[in-house]
Amino acid sequence: MYCKKECIAMLLAGGQGSRLYDLTKMTAKPAVSFGGKYKIIDFPLSNCINSGIDTVGVLTQYQPLALNEYMGNGATWDLDRTRGGLSVLPPYQGNQKSDWYKGTANAIYQNINFIRQYNPDYVLILSGDHIYRMDYSKMLEQHKATGAACTIATITVPIEEASRFGICNTGADNSIYEFEEKPKKPKNNQASMGIYIFSTPKLIEYLERDEARENSSNDFGKDVIPDLLASGEKLFAYRFSGYWKDVGTISSLWESNMDLIGENPTLSLSDRSFRVYSRNTARAPQYLGKTSKTVNSLISEGCRIYGEVENSILSGGVVVEEGAEVRDSVIMEDVVIRKGAKIYTSIVDSDTIVEAGATVGHKGADKNDITVIGKGSVIRPADPIG
Amino acid sequence: MATNAAGIIFSNLNDNTLSRMTAERTVAAIPFACRYRLVDFCLSNLVNADISNISIIANYNYRALAEHIGSGKDWDLARRNGGVRLISPYSTARSGAARLYSTHMEALKNMREYIRDLGEEYVIIMDSDNVLNIDLHEVLNLHKKTDANITMVTMPVGKDFSSKHPRLMISSVAGKVTDIALSSTYKATHPEVSLTIWVMRTDYLLGLIDEADAYNLDSLTNMLIKNFRHMNIRSYCYTGYVASVSSFLDYYRCSIELTTNEKARESLLWKESAPIFTRVHNSAPTVYSANAKVSDSMIADDCVIEGEVINSVLFRGVKVGRGAVIRDSVLFAGTTVGKNASLTSIVTDEDVVVSDGTSLAGNLNMPFYIQRGRKV
Repeated sequence: MYCKKECIAMLLAGGQGSRLYDLTKMTAKPAVSFGGKYKIIDFPLSNCINSGIDTVGVLTQYQPLALNEYMGNGATWDLDRTRGGLSVLPPYQGNQKSDWYKGTANAIYQNINFIRQYNPDYVLILSGDHIYRMDYSKMLEQHKATGAACTIATITVPIEEASRFGICNTGADNSIYEFEEKPKKPKNNQASMGIYIFSTPKLIEYLERDEARENSSNDFGKDVIPDLLASGEKLFAYRFSGYWKDVGTISSLWESNMDLIGENPTLSLSDRSFRVYSRNTARAPQYLGKTSKTVNSLISEGCRIYGEVENSILSGGVVVEEGAEVRDSVIMEDVVIRKGAKIYTSIVDSDTIVEAGATVGHKGADKNDITVIGKGSVIRPADPIG
Repeated sequence: MATNAAGIIFSNLNDNTLSRMTAERTVAAIPFACRYRLVDFCLSNLVNADISNISIIANYNYRALAEHIGSGKDWDLARRNGGVRLISPYSTARSGAARLYSTHMEALKNMREYIRDLGEEYVIIMDSDNVLNIDLHEVLNLHKKTDANITMVTMPVGKDFSSKHPRLMISSVAGKVTDIALSSTYKATHPEVSLTIWVMRTDYLLGLIDEADAYNLDSLTNMLIKNFRHMNIRSYCYTGYVASVSSFLDYYRCSIELTTNEKARESLLWKESAPIFTRVHNSAPTVYSANAKVSDSMIADDCVIEGEVINSVLFRGVKVGRGAVIRDSVLFAGTTVGKNASLTSIVTDEDVVVSDGTSLAGNLNMPFYIQRGRKV
């Protein structure tokens, strides 16, 4: 059946996110909670629908159960479509060989037939580990105008951090003449955001070449992009400015959550013109009791607060009993904090119970001293936590 | 397991009792408890009892209701078989000229063939102005066990019960109904008030409709009052919390009661095995600023609170400015309260704007209502 799309997105959501430790023990990184009502994957998926992209392949591999359950049929992002929509693409068995996804490029390579179904002119490659709001259609416009084989979204980072990123060295017209993956001595501070738009024939051509190369690590940044450059293809940087944060570490995840609160938050999710969609549930409304003191915080539906909450983010269904204290912390779904318990500068994963009188974390600690409590833990007063 | 019963919800027979709030919506679509509309409680009660063949009878003014129900997906009622349907009004040979029904029976007469074709063994008929979280499985099981003609859900009330609008009153002995009358004429030592949830066999209902048709009767209530002695009517006495929203003052008091009465919240909203479903919106978490002071209040998502909120109910997207004080008030979705404004015992409809420094006060016996979209 005819089902052509101008541009489809391929979202790499299979990463383990090992630097999030306990938070990703049972869950792929894109399914980690963020900002009270969201999962990390809500950001790229919302960006897609807000940019007019209605066909998204989500490549899963590591611990996909929570992620699959969360995505469902894509209705949350208006991606439950008769033609296109959201498709989950796990590794599969072929008639010649079967394999796990070896690298980012190999994951897309194994799904070339999915791309061909839609006969798109362009393919947008995304990853599921960043918090940002971006209109990809503007990037696509630039891609078309320059006639590039590939456009890489870049963002200005502090030069002292540049060696953590893939750095694009560009000419005055934003054409890329050199791409350095995590350079020791960066010449520039234009970092790749891991967002690529390819013209489809070029993508397929270079993925097939990459696959044929024996010693390739099958990675876009390390192998495919350098190959395009070496072969003289036109590559352009698309300069993005706005909030963008890699939440791959405990401290960056905590920091990014804290960016949502304060007098003038660096990141506001109340902006209705470019909404971030998330799966909303039918929990009861929030209830704040007589003894509640809730300030400078984000609270979600189903929470019941009788204690003190300050500078914190609470996901749905969290209970804070009388005399309990929560400060500078991120509390995920259905956590129960019993009478007199105290939580300071922590990330507490869902379904955890903090028993009466227990203490988690250190008061006034900074981003390098975040306490993390794994899903479903029970914390007793005698447990030394933090 | 699916239950072999159909639900029939009447959306607006009581519009006149809540006239101000129903100017642009039916009773079933009246917002209640931060994020719900009255019909959500009917739908959730049915769905939680595995009843998924549901018809909502609309009459007029049902735009907001239709929008709220949508495909029924939010209640898991977007089904190939059954699901929820909004029955918009129409006239048939039975109802004569193009005239809208004003009683249950008039509507039921029109729908006789439709009800037969629902193909369910039992029907549960309900109004939407009694807000409760009831286990209808239990009611249906009782009905089957006692082999009653009709089982009516009732609530025990005091001897001095009175109502601004007439309610159906019942006396029963060991569950068997011994008296039925309207509240205006009723005297009894252990009165129960009908919560207008009626369970019967589909055949029995069809029989009643035929009888009404044959004798040109148009009130099911009157038929019951006249004939209950010849019928086997049982009552199921519900003892949990009920918000009976039969006047604006009732509506206001019930709303505020939810902020003061923990038992009411537990009975209505916090039953883990019986959640109340509603149309979910995509909303951000609520922001409590450094100056927020909130106590004894129920708050929906997507609010921004910079002032003080006491014993109040805030719907989605309400903004409370710095220095503002909200007390004993109910603010519908999208209400914006300016800086240093003060509201006491006020009900604001959707998208009301209260400008900076404005002070408005009613009291618990005389709350004030501000119409949708007004700027004060």
